[in-house]
Amino acid sequence: MKNRKSDVWAIIPAHNEAKNIGKVISESKKYVEKIVVVDDGSKDNTAEIAKKQGAIVLKHVVNLGKGSTLKTGCDFVYKACAKNKNNKKIKIILIDADGQHDPKLIPTFIKKLENKEIIFGARDFNKKMPLVLRVGNNFINFIIELLFQVKVRDSQSGYRAFWLKNYRKIRWRAQDYSMESEMIANVGKHKLKYGQVSIPTVYNDNYKGTTIVDGVRIVYNIFKWRVAKW
Amino acid sequence: MVNDAMGIQGIQIIGMFFCIVMLYLTFLHYKRKEFKVEFFLFWAFAWIGLIIMILYPTSLDFFVRGLKFGRRLDFFIVFGSFFILVLQYYNYIIINNTRRKVEKITRKIAIQNHNRKN
Repeated sequence: MKNRKSDVWAIIPAHNEAKNIGKVISESKKYVEKIVVVDDGSKDNTAEIAKKQGAIVLKHVVNLGKGSTLKTGCDFVYKACAKNKNNKKIKIILIDADGQHDPKLIPTFIKKLENKEIIFGARDFNKKMPLVLRVGNNFINFIIELLFQVKVRDSQSGYRAFWLKNYRKIRWRAQDYSMESEMIANVGKHKLKYGQVSIPTVYNDNYKGTTIVDGVRIVYNIFKWRVAKW
Repeated sequence: MVNDAMGIQGIQIIGMFFCIVMLYLTFLHYKRKEFKVEFFLFWAFAWIGLIIMILYPTSLDFFVRGLKFGRRLDFFIVFGSFFILVLQYYNYIIINNTRRKVEKITRKIAIQNHNRKN
Protein backbone atom coordinates (compact mmCIF):
# COMPACT_ATOMS: atom_id res chain seq x y z
CA MET A 1 0.00 0.00 0.00
CA LYS A 2 1.36 3.38 -0.95
CA ASN A 3 1.74 5.89 1.87
CA ARG A 4 0.34 9.24 0.90
CA LYS A 5 1.34 12.35 2.84
CA SER A 6 -2.30 13.43 2.92
CA ASP A 7 -3.36 10.26 4.74
CA VAL A 8 -1.30 11.13 7.78
CA TRP A 9 -2.39 13.54 10.50
CA ALA A 10 0.06 14.68 13.17
CA ILE A 11 -1.34 15.64 16.54
CA ILE A 12 0.83 17.77 18.79
CA PRO A 13 -0.26 18.52 22.37
CA ALA A 14 1.32 21.75 23.58
CA HIS A 15 1.46 23.67 26.84
CA ASN A 16 3.64 26.81 26.95
CA GLU A 17 5.84 25.57 24.12
CA ALA A 18 6.31 28.83 22.18
CA LYS A 19 10.06 28.16 22.15
CA ASN A 20 9.88 24.79 20.38
CA ILE A 21 6.53 24.50 18.62
CA GLY A 22 7.56 26.40 15.45
CA LYS A 23 10.47 24.08 14.74
CA VAL A 24 8.48 20.92 15.51
CA ILE A 25 5.73 21.99 13.06
CA SER A 26 8.09 23.06 10.26
CA GLU A 27 10.01 19.79 10.53
CA SER A 28 6.82 17.70 10.69
CA LYS A 29 5.37 19.42 7.62
CA LYS A 30 7.96 17.70 5.48
CA TYR A 31 6.28 14.37 6.20
CA VAL A 32 2.61 15.10 6.93
CA GLU A 33 0.08 17.38 5.32
CA LYS A 34 -2.21 18.03 8.24
CA ILE A 35 -0.94 19.04 11.65
CA VAL A 36 -3.27 19.59 14.59
CA VAL A 37 -1.82 21.48 17.53
CA VAL A 38 -3.89 21.32 20.70
CA ASP A 39 -2.90 24.20 22.94
CA ASP A 40 -3.64 23.13 26.51
CA GLY A 41 -4.32 26.51 28.09
CA SER A 42 -0.90 28.02 27.36
CA LYS A 43 -0.04 31.41 28.82
CA ASP A 44 2.47 32.17 26.05
CA ASN A 45 1.89 32.54 22.30
CA THR A 46 2.13 28.84 21.42
CA ALA A 47 -1.21 28.96 19.57
CA GLU A 48 -0.29 32.03 17.50
CA ILE A 49 3.04 30.55 16.42
CA ALA A 50 1.38 27.25 15.51
CA LYS A 51 -1.25 29.07 13.46
CA LYS A 52 1.41 31.08 11.61
CA GLN A 53 3.13 27.83 10.73
CA GLY A 54 -0.07 26.60 9.09
CA ALA A 55 -1.23 24.13 11.72
CA ILE A 56 -4.84 23.58 12.68
CA VAL A 57 -5.02 24.98 16.20
CA LEU A 58 -7.50 23.87 18.87
CA LYS A 59 -7.27 25.83 22.08
CA HIS A 60 -8.28 24.62 25.53
CA VAL A 61 -9.47 27.55 27.62
CA VAL A 62 -8.05 25.88 30.73
CA ASN A 63 -5.16 23.50 31.25
CA LEU A 64 -6.45 19.91 31.38
CA GLY A 65 -3.43 17.65 31.01
CA LYS A 66 -1.80 15.61 28.26
CA GLY A 67 -4.42 12.84 28.14
CA SER A 68 -7.29 15.26 27.62
CA THR A 69 -5.29 17.33 25.13
CA LEU A 70 -4.50 14.38 22.89
CA LYS A 71 -8.10 13.19 23.17
CA THR A 72 -9.29 16.59 21.88
CA GLY A 73 -6.93 16.30 18.90
CA CYS A 74 -7.89 12.69 18.11
CA ASP A 75 -11.63 13.35 18.54
CA PHE A 76 -11.30 16.31 16.17
CA VAL A 77 -9.57 14.22 13.48
CA TYR A 78 -12.05 11.37 14.00
CA LYS A 79 -14.99 13.73 13.44
CA ALA A 80 -13.30 15.57 10.58
CA CYS A 81 -12.64 12.30 8.74
CA ALA A 82 -15.96 10.66 9.57
CA LYS A 83 -17.46 11.48 6.15
CA ASN A 84 -14.25 10.86 4.27
CA LYS A 85 -14.58 7.74 2.07
CA ASN A 86 -10.92 6.95 2.58
CA ASN A 87 -10.96 7.28 6.34
CA LYS A 88 -9.84 3.67 6.73
CA LYS A 89 -6.49 4.74 5.31
CA ILE A 90 -6.00 7.62 7.74
CA LYS A 91 -3.07 7.31 10.11
CA ILE A 92 -2.41 9.38 13.20
CA ILE A 93 0.96 10.22 14.60
CA LEU A 94 1.38 11.72 18.07
CA ILE A 95 4.39 13.97 18.64
CA ASP A 96 5.41 15.96 21.70
CA ALA A 97 5.80 19.71 21.28
CA ASP A 98 8.97 20.05 23.33
CA GLY A 99 11.32 18.81 20.62
CA GLN A 100 11.94 15.41 22.26
CA HIS A 101 10.62 13.64 19.18
CA ASP A 102 12.46 13.94 15.91
CA PRO A 103 9.94 14.36 13.04
CA LYS A 104 12.47 12.73 10.68
CA LEU A 105 11.30 9.40 12.11
CA ILE A 106 7.68 9.91 10.95
CA PRO A 107 8.23 7.93 7.70
CA THR A 108 9.72 5.04 9.73
CA PHE A 109 6.63 4.97 11.97
CA ILE A 110 4.27 5.13 9.00
CA LYS A 111 6.11 2.40 7.09
CA LYS A 112 6.11 0.09 10.08
CA LEU A 113 2.40 0.77 10.64
CA GLU A 114 1.57 -0.90 7.31
CA ASN A 115 1.35 -4.37 8.84
CA LYS A 116 0.61 -3.38 12.43
CA GLU A 117 -2.22 -1.59 14.22
CA ILE A 118 -0.17 0.65 16.46
CA ILE A 119 3.50 1.61 16.69
CA PHE A 120 5.20 2.74 19.90
CA GLY A 121 8.33 4.86 19.99
CA ALA A 122 10.94 3.40 22.32
CA ARG A 123 13.81 5.39 23.78
CA ASP A 124 17.09 3.81 24.77
CA PHE A 125 17.34 3.80 28.54
CA ASN A 126 20.85 5.21 28.53
CA LYS A 127 22.50 7.78 30.79
CA LYS A 128 20.75 10.63 28.99
CA MET A 129 17.58 9.57 30.81
CA PRO A 130 17.57 10.50 34.53
CA LEU A 131 18.09 7.43 36.77
CA VAL A 132 14.76 7.79 38.56
CA LEU A 133 12.91 7.79 35.23
CA ARG A 134 14.89 4.77 34.00
CA VAL A 135 14.00 2.75 37.11
CA GLY A 136 10.36 3.93 37.15
CA ASN A 137 9.91 3.30 33.44
CA ASN A 138 11.29 -0.24 33.66
CA PHE A 139 9.02 -0.97 36.59
CA ILE A 140 5.93 0.30 34.73
CA ASN A 141 6.93 -1.74 31.63
CA PHE A 142 7.16 -4.84 33.83
CA ILE A 143 3.74 -4.25 35.43
CA ILE A 144 2.11 -3.63 32.04
CA GLU A 145 3.58 -6.83 30.59
CA LEU A 146 2.48 -8.77 33.65
CA LEU A 147 -1.09 -7.47 33.65
CA PHE A 148 -1.81 -6.85 29.96
CA GLN A 149 0.65 -9.13 28.15
CA VAL A 150 1.93 -6.23 26.05
CA LYS A 151 5.71 -6.16 25.93
CA VAL A 152 6.90 -2.64 25.19
CA ARG A 153 10.40 -1.29 25.72
CA ASP A 154 9.19 2.19 26.65
CA SER A 155 5.65 2.49 27.93
CA GLN A 156 5.99 6.21 28.65
CA SER A 157 7.10 7.52 25.28
CA GLY A 158 4.47 9.72 23.66
CA TYR A 159 5.79 9.21 20.12
CA ARG A 160 3.21 6.85 18.63
CA ALA A 161 1.35 6.10 15.42
CA PHE A 162 -1.90 4.25 14.85
CA TRP A 163 -4.71 3.83 12.35
CA LEU A 164 -7.64 6.17 12.85
CA LYS A 165 -10.02 3.20 12.44
CA ASN A 166 -8.58 1.79 15.69
CA TYR A 167 -8.98 5.00 17.67
CA ARG A 168 -12.25 3.94 19.33
CA LYS A 169 -10.55 0.79 20.61
CA ILE A 170 -7.60 2.55 22.18
CA ARG A 171 -9.40 5.72 23.32
CA TRP A 172 -8.37 6.48 26.89
CA ARG A 173 -10.13 8.10 29.85
CA ALA A 174 -7.06 9.39 31.65
CA GLN A 175 -6.60 13.13 31.62
CA ASP A 176 -2.93 13.14 32.57
CA TYR A 177 0.27 11.28 31.69
CA SER A 178 -1.42 7.96 32.58
CA MET A 179 -2.98 8.02 29.10
CA GLU A 180 0.16 6.50 27.58
CA SER A 181 -0.16 3.44 29.83
CA GLU A 182 -3.95 3.26 29.37
CA MET A 183 -3.49 3.22 25.61
CA ILE A 184 -1.21 0.17 26.01
CA ALA A 185 -3.73 -1.44 28.35
CA ASN A 186 -6.38 -1.00 25.64
CA VAL A 187 -4.03 -2.48 23.04
CA GLY A 188 -3.73 -5.52 25.30
CA LYS A 189 -7.46 -5.71 25.87
CA HIS A 190 -8.28 -5.64 22.14
CA LYS A 191 -5.25 -7.75 21.23
CA LEU A 192 -4.09 -5.25 18.61
CA LYS A 193 -0.93 -5.96 16.63
CA TYR A 194 1.79 -3.60 17.78
CA GLY A 195 5.33 -2.75 16.81
CA GLN A 196 8.12 -0.53 18.08
CA VAL A 197 10.51 2.01 16.61
CA SER A 198 13.72 3.04 18.34
CA ILE A 199 13.87 6.76 18.93
CA PRO A 200 16.69 8.88 20.36
CA THR A 201 16.58 9.85 24.02
CA VAL A 202 16.37 13.61 24.29
CA TYR A 203 15.84 15.56 27.51
CA ASN A 204 15.60 19.34 27.45
CA ASP A 205 16.51 21.61 30.36
CA ASN A 206 12.88 22.54 30.87
CA TYR A 207 11.66 18.93 31.13
CA LYS A 208 7.94 18.91 31.95
CA GLY A 209 7.21 15.20 31.62
CA THR A 210 6.40 12.48 34.11
CA THR A 211 7.42 13.00 37.74
CA ILE A 212 7.71 10.47 40.60
CA VAL A 213 4.17 11.40 41.73
CA ASP A 214 2.90 10.76 38.19
CA GLY A 215 4.70 7.41 38.26
CA VAL A 216 2.93 6.35 41.45
CA ARG A 217 -0.41 7.45 39.97
CA ILE A 218 0.31 5.53 36.74
CA VAL A 219 1.03 2.30 38.66
CA TYR A 220 -2.14 2.74 40.72
CA ASN A 221 -4.14 3.36 37.52
CA ILE A 222 -2.67 0.29 35.78
CA PHE A 223 -4.01 -1.93 38.55
CA LYS A 224 -7.34 -0.08 38.42
CA TRP A 225 -7.65 -0.64 34.65
CA ARG A 226 -6.78 -4.30 35.03
CA VAL A 227 -9.78 -4.68 37.31
CA ALA A 228 -12.03 -2.42 35.21
CA LYS A 229 -11.12 -3.93 31.81
CA TRP A 230 -11.76 -7.54 32.80
CA MET B 1 -23.16 18.90 83.79
CA VAL B 2 -20.18 20.27 81.84
CA ASN B 3 -17.89 17.74 83.38
CA ASP B 4 -18.78 15.66 86.36
CA ALA B 5 -16.26 16.78 88.96
CA MET B 6 -13.38 18.77 87.47
CA GLY B 7 -15.28 21.50 85.56
CA ILE B 8 -14.59 22.16 81.89
CA GLN B 9 -11.53 20.38 80.46
CA GLY B 10 -8.89 21.62 78.00
CA ILE B 11 -10.04 19.27 75.26
CA GLN B 12 -13.57 20.65 75.57
CA ILE B 13 -12.30 24.22 75.19
CA ILE B 14 -10.37 23.26 72.04
CA GLY B 15 -13.41 21.40 70.67
CA MET B 16 -15.73 24.33 71.34
CA PHE B 17 -13.30 26.85 69.86
CA PHE B 18 -13.08 24.71 66.70
CA CYS B 19 -16.88 24.41 66.44
CA ILE B 20 -17.43 28.14 66.94
CA VAL B 21 -14.87 28.99 64.23
CA MET B 22 -16.53 26.49 61.87
CA LEU B 23 -19.96 27.89 62.70
CA TYR B 24 -18.70 31.38 61.89
CA LEU B 25 -17.19 30.17 58.57
CA THR B 26 -20.45 28.42 57.70
CA PHE B 27 -22.35 31.65 58.34
CA LEU B 28 -19.78 33.62 56.33
CA HIS B 29 -20.19 31.37 53.29
CA TYR B 30 -23.95 31.59 53.60
CA LYS B 31 -23.76 35.38 53.81
CA ARG B 32 -21.65 35.44 50.66
CA LYS B 33 -24.43 33.37 49.05
CA GLU B 34 -22.05 30.46 48.43
CA PHE B 35 -24.38 28.12 50.35
CA LYS B 36 -28.06 27.44 49.87
CA VAL B 37 -30.20 27.80 53.00
CA GLU B 38 -30.61 24.03 53.45
CA PHE B 39 -26.88 23.51 53.19
CA PHE B 40 -26.30 26.28 55.75
CA LEU B 41 -28.87 24.77 58.13
CA PHE B 42 -27.33 21.29 57.84
CA TRP B 43 -23.87 22.51 58.80
CA ALA B 44 -25.12 24.97 61.43
CA PHE B 45 -27.04 22.14 63.16
CA ALA B 46 -24.01 19.87 62.85
CA TRP B 47 -21.71 22.38 64.61
CA ILE B 48 -24.30 23.32 67.24
CA GLY B 49 -24.94 19.62 67.88
CA LEU B 50 -21.23 19.05 68.33
CA ILE B 51 -21.01 21.98 70.78
CA ILE B 52 -23.82 20.44 72.84
CA MET B 53 -22.08 17.06 72.82
CA ILE B 54 -18.84 18.71 73.93
CA LEU B 55 -20.55 20.68 76.72
CA TYR B 56 -22.66 17.72 77.89
CA PRO B 57 -20.59 14.63 77.10
CA THR B 58 -22.72 12.50 79.45
CA SER B 59 -25.61 12.89 76.99
CA LEU B 60 -23.76 10.36 74.80
CA ASP B 61 -23.45 7.74 77.53
CA PHE B 62 -26.48 5.84 76.26
CA PHE B 63 -24.71 5.20 72.92
CA VAL B 64 -21.23 4.84 74.44
CA ARG B 65 -22.38 2.10 76.83
CA GLY B 66 -24.77 0.52 74.34
CA LEU B 67 -22.01 0.18 71.74
CA LYS B 68 -19.51 -0.89 74.42
CA PHE B 69 -16.99 1.89 73.93
CA GLY B 70 -14.44 2.22 76.74
CA ARG B 71 -14.40 6.01 76.68
CA ARG B 72 -16.52 8.80 75.23
CA LEU B 73 -13.49 10.03 73.28
CA ASP B 74 -13.25 6.64 71.51
CA PHE B 75 -16.86 7.06 70.41
CA PHE B 76 -16.04 10.53 69.01
CA ILE B 77 -12.93 9.29 67.21
CA VAL B 78 -14.65 6.28 65.61
CA PHE B 79 -17.75 8.16 64.45
CA GLY B 80 -15.68 11.21 63.47
CA SER B 81 -13.53 8.96 61.24
CA PHE B 82 -16.60 7.44 59.62
CA PHE B 83 -18.01 10.89 58.97
CA ILE B 84 -14.74 12.07 57.41
CA LEU B 85 -14.55 8.96 55.20
CA VAL B 86 -18.09 9.51 53.95
CA LEU B 87 -17.32 13.15 53.21
CA GLN B 88 -14.07 12.19 51.41
CA TYR B 89 -15.90 9.67 49.28
CA TYR B 90 -18.63 12.18 48.46
CA ASN B 91 -16.01 14.83 47.57
CA TYR B 92 -14.13 12.35 45.38
CA ILE B 93 -17.27 11.55 43.39
CA ILE B 94 -18.21 15.22 43.02
CA ILE B 95 -14.68 16.28 41.98
CA ASN B 96 -14.37 13.44 39.49
CA ASN B 97 -17.71 14.25 37.88
CA THR B 98 -16.85 17.94 37.76
CA ARG B 99 -13.47 17.19 36.17
CA ARG B 100 -15.13 15.09 33.46
CA LYS B 101 -17.68 17.84 32.79
CA VAL B 102 -14.95 20.53 32.57
CA GLU B 103 -13.01 18.29 30.19
CA LYS B 104 -16.03 17.77 27.93
CA ILE B 105 -16.95 21.46 27.87
CA THR B 106 -13.36 22.55 27.22
CA ARG B 107 -13.08 20.08 24.33
CA LYS B 108 -16.39 21.20 22.88
CA ILE B 109 -15.39 24.87 23.05
CA ALA B 110 -11.98 24.15 21.45
CA ILE B 111 -13.51 22.28 18.50
CA GLN B 112 -16.47 24.69 18.11
CA ASN B 113 -14.18 27.75 18.12
CA HIS B 114 -12.07 26.20 15.39
CA ASN B 115 -15.08 25.23 13.27
CA ARG B 116 -16.60 28.71 13.64
CA LYS B 117 -13.42 30.44 12.46
CA ASN B 118 -13.12 28.17 9.44
